[in-house]
Amino acid sequence: MSNIVEVTNLTKIYAGKKVVKDISFGVKKGEIFGILGPNGAGKTTTLEMIETIRSIDGGTATLAGYDVATDPEKIKQLIGVQPQTPSFEEKTKLTELIQFFASAYGERVDPMKFLEDVQLADKASSYPEQLSGGQRQRFSIAVSLVHNPEVFFLDEPTTGLDPQARRNLWDLIRAVRDRGVTVVMTTHYMDEAELLCDRVAVMDNGRIVAIDSPKNLIRALLKKGFKKKIHVEQANLEDVFIDLTGKALRD
Amino acid sequence: MKRALLPVITFVRIDVKRLFRDKVAIFFVFVFPLIFLLIFGTIFSGDNGVSFRVAVLNQSDAEFSRTFTEEIKNNKIFEVDKDISNLDQAYAKMNRGQLDATIVLPSGFGSVAEGNYPVGQAKVLYDQNNQQAGQTLSSILEGIFKQKNQVFVPAETPLTVVAESTATKGLTQFDYTFSGILGFTLLSLGIFGPTTVFPRLKQRGVLRRYHMTTLKVWQYFVGNVLSNAVVGILAIALMFVAAVLVFDLNMRGDYLSLLAVTVLGTILMFGIGLALGGWAKNENQAAPMAQLVTLPMMFLSGVFFPTFLMPELLQSITRFIPLTPIIDSMRMVVTEGRTLFELGPQMAIIVGWLIIIYALAFKVFRWE
Repeated sequence: MSNIVEVTNLTKIYAGKKVVKDISFGVKKGEIFGILGPNGAGKTTTLEMIETIRSIDGGTATLAGYDVATDPEKIKQLIGVQPQTPSFEEKTKLTELIQFFASAYGERVDPMKFLEDVQLADKASSYPEQLSGGQRQRFSIAVSLVHNPEVFFLDEPTTGLDPQARRNLWDLIRAVRDRGVTVVMTTHYMDEAELLCDRVAVMDNGRIVAIDSPKNLIRALLKKGFKKKIHVEQANLEDVFIDLTGKALRD
Repeated sequence: MKRALLPVITFVRIDVKRLFRDKVAIFFVFVFPLIFLLIFGTIFSGDNGVSFRVAVLNQSDAEFSRTFTEEIKNNKIFEVDKDISNLDQAYAKMNRGQLDATIVLPSGFGSVAEGNYPVGQAKVLYDQNNQQAGQTLSSILEGIFKQKNQVFVPAETPLTVVAESTATKGLTQFDYTFSGILGFTLLSLGIFGPTTVFPRLKQRGVLRRYHMTTLKVWQYFVGNVLSNAVVGILAIALMFVAAVLVFDLNMRGDYLSLLAVTVLGTILMFGIGLALGGWAKNENQAAPMAQLVTLPMMFLSGVFFPTFLMPELLQSITRFIPLTPIIDSMRMVVTEGRTLFELGPQMAIIVGWLIIIYALAFKVFRWE
């Protein structure tokens, strides 16, 4: 499969300090690509450079063949973006927000169709400030997809959500991928990356320290003779929690 | 082109609806200007006539004295304080400036003497600080007595004076003040709104989210300007209705000219707010700038007092402050019945400012 996103020696400098250092990677069309790393590793900055809203200080990034630095308008048309903390104008119905975001791309849409996709049809006339955290993330996904983008960027989409809402969001992200959209997401939850991502890049201190499928990365670690000190149970506390409280969404 | 205008139209439609869902915004946009109108309208309306706040102490039991006291109470020139029944109370109120003077009709005033007509001497007491009122009042009383004397003892009066008002058009003080109040409304709607809203939207990352889409700055600007113009027209229309119903406003000009001036004024004032709010990163940056820009306009553009009362030199400067031509135009339309085409100099200044301010707003705008 060909790469839809191609990043070469990408660099970002803040106040004389390199926060993203010469990183290179490619994202294959139709995969879910994860960027992992602790806080401050440079994940968000990397995403925002590809999303055209941060200037690129070194290297290049292309998306579907278009250069991010020289053709930002084309890139914006091709991508959907889910920011870390989605925030919308208050006192505005969800349907109206979807119509407005679609209009920003010059399109008229049926907002209900997009709300149904994220199970928010019953909230059509609510305001975003009336939604729960999980609902807001789902709504933000719907907003990001109003113009049928080819690549969908999500920045820590499940941070702060309860286990039910997280699982629901995973299903949603898979559904988006199954529609043929390439997904690039950051996270610092390893279970999430392991379950969801086809391939991951691990970032630390502005560099990519490893890049491969989760399975291959685990295999490579085991090959080095790594052994977990604690005996692994067949289930963990989260499994217990889900067993006790069910998978149904609470918001 | 149609596609380019789609976000503009969609934004205006949603933004106007949004305003009507927000109780705080409704208060500031519609209710607050109305309160302002009622307060200032009440202060500046009324029948332009002079009146004196007086106390009348009738110490005489003569019939004439009693009817004369009633006469004073019914006379429009006097505003009689009915709570005062003795001199001490009168002195206390005069000291505080709550009374202009006290009319004392001493014991025996108006008793009928040998000539078969009442005689006596009324006394006008006034505070040292209120000499003018006291003396004017004395002359007025003297005039009243002269008329009465003429009835009791007719005499020749070869030289007389007649006073006549020149206010032939019948403009009230309110008609004049109203344009200032409209100007103030446009000023506060145009500047205080966007300088609080835009920085807040930036801090919440709402504008940043727009920046991630293909939305252009000009589309966002035009959308905001139009929705603000719609709201501005509604607010001004509401004030107009209130002014006509409550204060009997005399509208001499045509409504189309007033609408045109209102639209231009709204867009110009909003441009200033947009430039400040679009530039500021947060509310701490925006608030002092808004004050800095608003205050001079509030005091030098004829909101609270007419600019022609200022020294010539100052007037030659204040004429060019953005709000001045707006208020002047409104005043000329409302009180002089001028049309838009007779407001050349004012329109020239307004258009000049529109170009400067929107160019600036466009240049300094930032999405986050």
